[in-house]
Amino acid sequence: MLKKKEKQPSFTLVRKRVPYLFILPWIIGFLVFTLGPLGSSLIMSLFDWPITGEAKFIGLNNFTKMFTADPQFYDSLVITFKFAAIFVPLNLISALVLALLITQPVKGVKIFRTIFYLPAVVSGVAVSIIWGWIFNSEFGVLNYLLSLIGIEGPSWLIDPKWAIVTIVIASAWGVGTMMLIFYTDIKGIPPELYEAASIDGAGPLRQFFNITIPTITPTILFNVITSVIAALQQLTLVLLLTGGGPLKSTYFYGLFVYNNAFKHHQLGYASANAWFMFIIILILTMLIFKSSSTWVFYEAEMKKGGKK
Amino acid sequence: MKLSKMKLILLFTIALALLLSACNSTKSNSDEATEDGKVKIRFATWDVGNDVQLQQNLIDEFNAKNEKIKVVLEAYGGEYDTKITAGIGAKDAPDVMYMWNYPQYKDALEPLDSYIDKNGEEYKSDFYESLWNYNSVGGETLGLPVGYTTHVVYYNKDLFDEKGLEYPQAGWTWADLQETAKKLTNKDKKITGFAFPGKPDPYDFEMYLWGNGASYVDSDGKLKGNLNSTKSIETFSLFQDMLKDGYAITTEGSGDTEMKSGKVGMFINGAWYLSPLKEAGINYGVVEVPTFENGKSVSIVSSSGIAMSKDSKHKEAAFEFMKFWTGKEANKERIAFELPVLKSVVEEEKLQEDPVKGVFYSMLEQSEGYTPASFITENWSQVSENLGFVFEQIFNPSTRVDPKKALNEAVK
Amino acid sequence: MRITKSHKIIVYSILVILSLYFLFPFAWALITALKTEGEAFSFPPTFLPDVPQFGNFIEAWKSQPFGTYFMNSVIVTVMTTIGQIISCSLVAYGFARYDFKYKNILFILLLSTMMIPWDVTMIPLYMEFNLFGWINTLKPLIVPAFFGSAYNIFLLRQFLMNIPKDLESAARIDGANEFQIFYKIFLPIMKGPLTLIAVLNILLVWNDYLGPLIYLNDQSKYTMALGLASFKGVHELQIIPIMAMTLVMIIPPVIVFAFAQKYIVEGVSGSIK
Repeated sequence: MLKKKEKQPSFTLVRKRVPYLFILPWIIGFLVFTLGPLGSSLIMSLFDWPITGEAKFIGLNNFTKMFTADPQFYDSLVITFKFAAIFVPLNLISALVLALLITQPVKGVKIFRTIFYLPAVVSGVAVSIIWGWIFNSEFGVLNYLLSLIGIEGPSWLIDPKWAIVTIVIASAWGVGTMMLIFYTDIKGIPPELYEAASIDGAGPLRQFFNITIPTITPTILFNVITSVIAALQQLTLVLLLTGGGPLKSTYFYGLFVYNNAFKHHQLGYASANAWFMFIIILILTMLIFKSSSTWVFYEAEMKKGGKK
Repeated sequence: MKLSKMKLILLFTIALALLLSACNSTKSNSDEATEDGKVKIRFATWDVGNDVQLQQNLIDEFNAKNEKIKVVLEAYGGEYDTKITAGIGAKDAPDVMYMWNYPQYKDALEPLDSYIDKNGEEYKSDFYESLWNYNSVGGETLGLPVGYTTHVVYYNKDLFDEKGLEYPQAGWTWADLQETAKKLTNKDKKITGFAFPGKPDPYDFEMYLWGNGASYVDSDGKLKGNLNSTKSIETFSLFQDMLKDGYAITTEGSGDTEMKSGKVGMFINGAWYLSPLKEAGINYGVVEVPTFENGKSVSIVSSSGIAMSKDSKHKEAAFEFMKFWTGKEANKERIAFELPVLKSVVEEEKLQEDPVKGVFYSMLEQSEGYTPASFITENWSQVSENLGFVFEQIFNPSTRVDPKKALNEAVK
Repeated sequence: MRITKSHKIIVYSILVILSLYFLFPFAWALITALKTEGEAFSFPPTFLPDVPQFGNFIEAWKSQPFGTYFMNSVIVTVMTTIGQIISCSLVAYGFARYDFKYKNILFILLLSTMMIPWDVTMIPLYMEFNLFGWINTLKPLIVPAFFGSAYNIFLLRQFLMNIPKDLESAARIDGANEFQIFYKIFLPIMKGPLTLIAVLNILLVWNDYLGPLIYLNDQSKYTMALGLASFKGVHELQIIPIMAMTLVMIIPPVIVFAFAQKYIVEGVSGSIK
């Protein structure tokens, strides 16, 4: 006991440093692996850098070109946001619904849990190949199956109207990861909460909105932010499944940046593109975060309020 | 708690063991020179599957014979360009790499003329002349030819037999092709006479313009007056009309998937599909590309060569290997998957008389003297992307823009 | 929750319909993998191969040194998972359970690392790894994992934020030091979420394609995902080996998931009590 008292002053000092000690690994990683490359890409955005040749300093020309002389920039931006507007809510809701389904106390639910999760196990390269194989409009199996029941299937990957639907279907296939995150959280809700509500006469729907949803708001926040980022950066599928087509209908921003860098070898311009998107996502994330104080409830913060 | 501590210790032991093994296994290869004091040459290929194995065998042969050089094969597959771009950008490119798109990479490649000259005129003249053009930019030779392909018409013999149609012969015209395609088409059985890519690669598509006496650009690289010339518009209309009349379909990729289904009569492509189509059980023949009225049967040449990185530290050794890789022996060993580019080999193997491979050689000879727009136009990759979009608008069923309108718009 | 019969029927029918969507591509991949080249492409498609070609799997496996790839993938996956668990649990705990100066700025900075487009940092990062002499080794794929990833840290932080504050106050009164609180109280609580992170990380790393593509050069270092992608050439797609290896590749993660399910389910609630 005595010993402890002696240590008291330095103890507070240590305690002040303790949080930083915990986050130290990330700080080191950030300094070593992230800050440098990130800084270089910002510097690169001020250069005309053809990768294979010499870089030339051109000031803000890349940004001027992007905003004033490249219609593809705006087209890609619009398509990407359209996709995000469909994909994010759809993915969130379906993940949540699936998570609720697999928490149902019915027999064999374990098997279904695995089935729903299974697609998330497949590598992106294989996902695009399998779906491309299924979606082929003339000789694909999907349109063949549809023809058996008398429906003439659309030209999935040829018709610009359907191509984005194709991308949504193929990307929603991997919803399992998000489902699993929701599921873990829902499973963590103490059953007593539901029992208490049941006694109070709350039906399943009211239980869902009054107990389940409020408890999992931190996870909802996580899933919203990560899926917004994922949607705005979607690349693998459009690169391998549609190549941006048909008629540039799936020429997402991620592909725009990728092509500028690796097809056109304009690494400076691609960096400028990337930084613009980086800032947009950053602002969006901060807005979502700001708003979260009104709709996300953390148990650790709620203590004082005594709500429960 | 005790048990989980045990588990934790076990886990760490495994982790440590793995980390150590990871470090050990990586050490030997990262060094510049190999352990036995040989110079290490990194060699990048885009080939996949069995071809990689064949190439490895060939390299093993070279390594066994050579006392000073050790070649390491690096197979990058479908994302070849991404990988070498990263390597070049980080100044860590392979010493020797497969190459076809020279204009795009020219600044990173070592000019080879002085190396070639040292080997005498005889060495150079054994290659097909037209291939040297495809392996150089602005008068500088940047690569040695390794293989090539011209485009030919693949036709499904079974479908021809079913209809009792004669197989096409060299010298046939586009009108003949259309006539044949019409006869082959059978909507009820889902059979179409002809198929071509709905989003053709502009690099490939230019050969049809050449055949009709047109081209994308003139020698100054100007699109206006060339891409939208009457002859050019005529060419695009020819293809669009086949779609409109229903005896041709557009394909989603380059057309091999559709051809493999056995439901397509004819498609035009390079030698890449010789063995895949055979494996898919398609009984096919090949014939020269049809001619336009007063035109010629011409094809684009897709050449593959090997180039040397400007940053290579062992240029002499690298060229030593390149010579081996383009030599007679190597050409013969690759014959299963690559068309030889040395006249002496073609002669010895009697390839020109081969009913299938011979077609590729006669197409090569007829296609001399054309320069693809990619070698003329600055910034081809951007131009190509724009052109590809215009072509797609012409052929995509949901737009089918009139070629004249589309091409006039494109040259603005 | 009470379950009525009609409720059960509805749940089952929804589950089955959804399963069709999730399973069909697998079924089709399996059917294709068992066909001969001719059958695979023929139209109309057949739903049962004439003679199932089980040899396709062996052929695909043997066509490249998949044994080596498998070992490399296992090394990378196991190492990164250990790295992520250690680093992310520490960092997330720091962010979730303490107040400190610049916390919000640092956290936004952390999140922002998720948004960095890969295309443009790749070449500078390549140069850095090259400087370290790490190119064509597994290190660029493994070492960064020991410094945490924003995605996992964020996920874990959200779980930790949802645990009542009185836990550590009680422990502090008992005289436990900060690290003991983390190690003895929170680490056991985090078992569920940490298992979740392990599973997610295993998947991500097991299937990662672009990282290995950029940092590895020759086949002795390749991973499974890279081997799978190698069936896709510039001109040709070898559809049968791709389907076969895709199916082979999902086996290890599925086994991991089957084992991990139990721990994930135990979740936060199970351990708090």
